[in-house]
Amino acid sequence: MATPTYTLIDSVTLGSSASSVTFSSIEQTFGDLILVSNHSTTGIAELSVRVNGDTSSNYYWVSMGGNGSTTVSQSSGGATNAMRPMERALTNTGIKGVFILQFFDYSATNKHKSVLSRSDTATYGTGATANRWGSTAAISSILLYPNMNLFESGSTFHLYGIAKEL
Amino acid sequence: MGVVKLSTAGILDYSKTSNFLSGNAPVSFGAFDLLETVSLTSSAASVTFSGLDAYSDYKHLQIRGEFSQSGGDVIFMRFNGVSTTSYAWHNLSGGRFSTAESEAGSSVSYMRLGVSPGSARTGLVCDLLDYSSNVKNTTGRWLFGQTDGPRIVLGSGGFFNTAAVSSLSLHASSGYSFQSLSRFSLYGVK
Repeated sequence: MATPTYTLIDSVTLGSSASSVTFSSIEQTFGDLILVSNHSTTGIAELSVRVNGDTSSNYYWVSMGGNGSTTVSQSSGGATNAMRPMERALTNTGIKGVFILQFFDYSATNKHKSVLSRSDTATYGTGATANRWGSTAAISSILLYPNMNLFESGSTFHLYGIAKEL
Repeated sequence: MGVVKLSTAGILDYSKTSNFLSGNAPVSFGAFDLLETVSLTSSAASVTFSGLDAYSDYKHLQIRGEFSQSGGDVIFMRFNGVSTTSYAWHNLSGGRFSTAESEAGSSVSYMRLGVSPGSARTGLVCDLLDYSSNVKNTTGRWLFGQTDGPRIVLGSGGFFNTAAVSSLSLHASSGYSFQSLSRFSLYGVK
């Protein structure tokens, strides 16, 4: 028996610049979440992500990317205070990036949360990242913010749910 | 015209239904459908999705997994139970060095999805393209990663056999097992 899925949970289109975007009160009925961000920023910036308002050092990441002339690979080397779901894919004024984040088993309460992401901007490069939130709490909110400057007006953010139970 | 009350009192053989399908197979109107999920409550050396020919309405398959293994390193995949040297794979990966690295295997007995050290929580999204074709080889691509190795992988692979894929299996490293709480789900894409 097949179950249709890839369900739009919520979307945000910015009508003016904003320092962050939050998806809150995320329903717990899906297995995975997919977050698609297509945003630019008011100046050069990297994308950062936190969940459940957690600002403590509970996040780990590893990334790789390329920009046409060099490749890079790096990891957090320890706990940090935010996910870093991008590599090489900076954003800037009028320069949008596409970021697709896959949150696995986000509603589970018995394991840490794995997040895989792809990041692409035509101007700066392309990358892939694995992140882990070192908490067994279910994810009920997701905060996205640029590490500098603001999200520009016209930026879009879509959150989808993927079923895992028939 | 008079209204006639229908009563079950005189009907000897009937069944109640709770939805409009009334016992018929459900119809899917989606283009991306969940087909099966395996959630491990105890360890297992491999996970197999079989009977995939029943899903021929779908053009492609996607495997989504979140798992850990008891030890070892390589996670790999096979099709139709074939363990001869019918596979090739390429991995572009990061995490070990300051630059991304390229790894590959050809004429090997599996597709290597990536490396996951013991107990590392690992994510996987793998697309199998045109899996039911019986006139061309089967190709796949995947995104794989974990932060305890750490390793992030963009991979692709080929199964050099034109048979339609009727089963696929995901394997922990030889001598090790996927741990309890590991979960693998199979989706169909039209």
